[in-house]
Amino acid sequence: MDTQEVLTETFYSGLPQLDSLLQGLLPGDNVVWQTDHLDDYPYFAGAFIERSIKDGYDCVYLSFAAHSPILKPVEGLEIVRIDPAPGFDYFSGEVHRIIEEHGRKCCYVFDSLSDLVDEWATDELLANFFQVTCPYLFQIDAVAYFALRRGQHGNSALSRIRETTQVLIDVYCVEKNTYIQPLKVAGRYSKQMFLPHLITTDVWEPVARSGDAARLLSSAVKQPLSIRNESIAPWDFVYRKLLEYHETGGVFAKTELRELKEALSRMLIGNHKKLVQLSNRYLTLGNLLQIRERVIGSGRIGGKSAGMLLARGVLNSAKDSYDYSKILEEHDSFYIGSDVFFTFLVNNDLFLDRLELNKKGSLSWDEFNKLEQRFLEGHFKDEILEQFRGMIDYYGQAPIIVRSSSLLEDGFTDAFAGKYRSEFCANQGSPESRLNELLKAIKLVYASALNPDALAYRKKRGFSEGDEQMAILVQRVSGTPYRQYFFPPLAGVAFSRNLFAWTDRIDSQKGMIRLVFGLGTRAVNRVSGDYPRMIAVSHPAIRPETGIEVSKYSQRMVDVINTADNKFETIPFGNIGANFDFPSIDMFISDVSEGFVKDWFIKPKEINGNLVLTFNNLINQTDMVNMLGDILSKLETAWEQPVDVEFTAYVHSDNNVKINLLQCRSLHVPSLGGVCVSIPKIMPKEQVLFRSNRAINAGMVENIGYIVYIDPKAYSEAVSLDTKKSIGRVIGKLNEILSYRDKKIMLMGPGRWGSTNIELGVNVGYADIDNTAVLVEVAREKAGQRPEVSYGTHFFQDLIESNILYLPVYPDDEISDFNFNFFRDAKNILLNLLPDMTEFEKIIMVIDVPLSANGAVAKVIADPQNRNAICIFDRSGLSNIN
Amino acid sequence: MSGINPFEVARQQIDACAKILKLSPSVTTMLKTPMRELHVSLPVKMDDGSVRIFQGFRVQYNDARGPAKGGIRFHPDETIDTVRALSSWMTWKTALLDLPLGGGKGGIICNPKELSTSELERLSRTYIRAIYQFVGPERDVPAPDVYTTPQIMAWMMDEYSTIAGKSQFGVITGKPLPLGGSPGRGDATARGGMITIREAAKALSIDLSKATVAIQGYGNAGYHAARLCKELFGSQIVAVCDSKGGVCCTGPNAGIDPSEAYSCKNQTSSVCNLPGMKQISNEELLELDVDILIPAAVENCITDKNAGKIKAKIVAELSNGPTTPEADDILYKNGVHVIPDFLCNAGGVTVSYFEMVQNFYMYTWDEAEVREKLDKKMTAAYHSVLETSKEYKINMRQAAYVRAVERVVEAMKLRGWI
Repeated sequence: MDTQEVLTETFYSGLPQLDSLLQGLLPGDNVVWQTDHLDDYPYFAGAFIERSIKDGYDCVYLSFAAHSPILKPVEGLEIVRIDPAPGFDYFSGEVHRIIEEHGRKCCYVFDSLSDLVDEWATDELLANFFQVTCPYLFQIDAVAYFALRRGQHGNSALSRIRETTQVLIDVYCVEKNTYIQPLKVAGRYSKQMFLPHLITTDVWEPVARSGDAARLLSSAVKQPLSIRNESIAPWDFVYRKLLEYHETGGVFAKTELRELKEALSRMLIGNHKKLVQLSNRYLTLGNLLQIRERVIGSGRIGGKSAGMLLARGVLNSAKDSYDYSKILEEHDSFYIGSDVFFTFLVNNDLFLDRLELNKKGSLSWDEFNKLEQRFLEGHFKDEILEQFRGMIDYYGQAPIIVRSSSLLEDGFTDAFAGKYRSEFCANQGSPESRLNELLKAIKLVYASALNPDALAYRKKRGFSEGDEQMAILVQRVSGTPYRQYFFPPLAGVAFSRNLFAWTDRIDSQKGMIRLVFGLGTRAVNRVSGDYPRMIAVSHPAIRPETGIEVSKYSQRMVDVINTADNKFETIPFGNIGANFDFPSIDMFISDVSEGFVKDWFIKPKEINGNLVLTFNNLINQTDMVNMLGDILSKLETAWEQPVDVEFTAYVHSDNNVKINLLQCRSLHVPSLGGVCVSIPKIMPKEQVLFRSNRAINAGMVENIGYIVYIDPKAYSEAVSLDTKKSIGRVIGKLNEILSYRDKKIMLMGPGRWGSTNIELGVNVGYADIDNTAVLVEVAREKAGQRPEVSYGTHFFQDLIESNILYLPVYPDDEISDFNFNFFRDAKNILLNLLPDMTEFEKIIMVIDVPLSANGAVAKVIADPQNRNAICIFDRSGLSNIN
Repeated sequence: MSGINPFEVARQQIDACAKILKLSPSVTTMLKTPMRELHVSLPVKMDDGSVRIFQGFRVQYNDARGPAKGGIRFHPDETIDTVRALSSWMTWKTALLDLPLGGGKGGIICNPKELSTSELERLSRTYIRAIYQFVGPERDVPAPDVYTTPQIMAWMMDEYSTIAGKSQFGVITGKPLPLGGSPGRGDATARGGMITIREAAKALSIDLSKATVAIQGYGNAGYHAARLCKELFGSQIVAVCDSKGGVCCTGPNAGIDPSEAYSCKNQTSSVCNLPGMKQISNEELLELDVDILIPAAVENCITDKNAGKIKAKIVAELSNGPTTPEADDILYKNGVHVIPDFLCNAGGVTVSYFEMVQNFYMYTWDEAEVREKLDKKMTAAYHSVLETSKEYKINMRQAAYVRAVERVVEAMKLRGWI
């Protein structure tokens, strides 16, 4: 070897004795130092860096721990400080980014990894970090030093580290002498390599004689075998201490107890100030320990679980109004800790892909499908599998639902509504098949963290690099078996504010309920041709339909679990209602046989008309609406902001209703955002593009330079189903292309955007519309499309979250002042943007507003107080508006 | 609102008839003026304890031929002129069917969508208390109309009976069956229309068993029309539509099964989803080459723009006002036989009259009897219009007005009013 080769290919530890012992450091070596005290680590790390600088290598010290610095600043050493507090995800991403920036053959010294556990609470994440970082360093021929404090970590984590690293070295002191003992040195071997060596300034002598070795090792502080299963990571340690106190009434100072309880709460629930506050106030130590006992793996339980548990805590502690201990159904949920998600990613080589995708912020659905397949092929660790088996045994053959419960989801700043998946498991069949069904559901939920909608949403909200801890909530499906089906009689979502106030009589402060028969999926999703019952808490008995319209705007289909076929199904309500034998069916149905609604009074002799799900008797004869109103009010008070809840319910004896609270989260209501909104009273008709008298959100959107207009008639007459199906994707492309321009976008199209039924509206996902500023649902009754006020659906929540102004417009109403001429005469620039899309030219019109309106842009002003909105041409801001 | 005063339109129609019948100015003035109007204020206690005052009307337009008959409308945009116009049309409708009734109409300015069931009940009862002395089985007999239902009729009958101190089922029609409602009411409008189609087909020598039918609108009237066309005549329904669009059958087959289309609409909210059919728009349906076209949905769908393209031999107006006056002229010139709305859809008011009669006699006819009597009335009315059309050489709509006005004028004369 010549000198040049030495510089480029060989690394030295800076200690010739160590180089000799290890037979040199090799490119790609990760060297883990296991020490009693951190005092020993700087000696080895310092020598390594000093030598590496001399040899011309880039040297980086990654500092993140609270302990004293391992290395002092010297020329040639770059010191990078990273904060581990935001969590494993963020931290690993940052480290990865730094390594990537520095490229191949760089030398690294890391702070003590043990300190990460103080921040992250579990050994699991520490091992995960090591497992994603170490192979990458190996791959790029870097050499890195890490330290671990002996005796602080469980066997599982240690064995994963040992398995991953190339070099593991034990350092310990006996009788003021320091010994070094390599435990693993990959690819190298000598007869005395793994013996303890006494460190001296001269030669490091191996302790080879049996008597000396026995004396030395038996005197050493370190345990002879890795028998310790219990980690002293806070996840285990805090729990054990609190459990001891709880069970034996151990002696604790009040402050210590409070601190331990808060620590447990933070580990389970999270750090968000409001969550911590709610947890401290409404969850007892017993509650927290119960939660901890039902966590599979380790880590946090996520936003959805936290919301559900805190809401129950709030209600159960309420003393006035109702006794919720008698109203709320018990729950026996399990929580798959967020660490399990990361371990799954790390163990299945998915972590780095995810990191890349989060950075990129977008993914096509085709790419996602391939990625999802990789998730489905992934495996879990045996110990986690064993816990899954325990859970499956616990639930027996009861249907369960596997729900995403990400930390970001349902938080206080973002709703993340419906981005991640929830999967029903019919949970029938042999234990092994039930386990497989569960594993598939969990993997699908995990994969959904990377679906295009979620990525786009996170990117938009600035969470791309954020710490997304995906926990899972596993709940028993609340319901009743009926024939081969299983479902809850009632399910829905309730909001503490009601913006769907179709009359001034409705008090928008009193909330709104979206109620369905069967599984609640039909209440939270935008289903086609089917309508949940919308109940205004302030005026439950009035509804926006009269007479036989009630029949038209009612729920026809029911989501159920078919336990015979082991699957989720949607069936006509008639299959259930026509038999009149479903428990409390009289509470839910009415008969619309003579052109008016007859609520069930006596059992119908025959179905001579339409059986319609009105829930009228439920509303009129039970206290359910009042109860839900009270629940919403109490939760809003506790949350200190509007909330929404998901629930199931059933009618118990004597018309008492039992409620199962599945979820509670903060609700983002449209706000004025500080903008004083008023609709100009006088406006020349030629300046108006359209008006809407059913606006829900408030706001003003200026500088609209592009209108993507889908002609309702052309859409309804679109030649083929395939063309219709493709329109959503074309919109997605326009959404992307136009977002790079300096003007805002308004989307206008027929019927219900985001509907699953393309006959009723354009089938788009969140990622297809996220850059638009205004979304207009155009209702041409003659063309058959009618907007449904989708308030309360995940789709609507997306619009609110993203500050997208939503407006329904009825061009056939004279008061809409719909500017047909403009839309007819404007130049369509679709092919300028997407030259290959000729087949869509007659359906999708992209209008460059200034080009077609003599330089003017469009502006939308919406005032929900009066439910009015107007879209006008704007040439000089507000100055020309009277 | 379009700004056109409906009462002015109604008055113009009377002027046109007066011209044909060469009526004197005083008679014309009488015909153009409602005989009695009642304006009432209705205080109603709302569920939250507050009190709201609603405005209501009842107009008896002309009762020369008998007690006024006409619906009660609950509508936020109700105006006295709308009620006047509608009450005048009820006068001509009952006269055309030769029922011993006059014409009336009532309404309350309210939005039923903003009222709970109990508030709606209180409002209905308050209205009856306010108009109690104005109406009655022998004075003025209301019925359901826009946003009023058999349930509301039941409350109103009960309130009237309570005030009267006796059962007064005959004070109102359109009641639920268990409270004196008439059998046969459910499909009365469509069935009446079918009878006029049958008679028109005879007059035009069309074999209905081989006829093709297109129906625009698949609500209550549209569905029953389809069902009865097949059931009574064996006609082939080749196209149906609703607000979401339509379908027509392709190739030689048995046509559309009305019940299947009805189930499809119930389950999927539109007939568009009927399998094995060609999708068409509502506009296309109107222009199909069929024997009979039945508009059973919206107003003004046949206009001067498409009237020239109508290929049907008979247009049976089951809905109100489907043809604009300009289109009427075009259809007449093109030889399309129009059965005008207030003849074609008069089956409803005729069965309402039968309900009154049954209530007076405290006897219930079976459905077959109702149908038989309806047949007689509708058949006679159709032929009287056809004859008038031929006599004066005017289109069927004008003929229907002329015949009706003739009868009212005759009654006024006999009573010595004019």
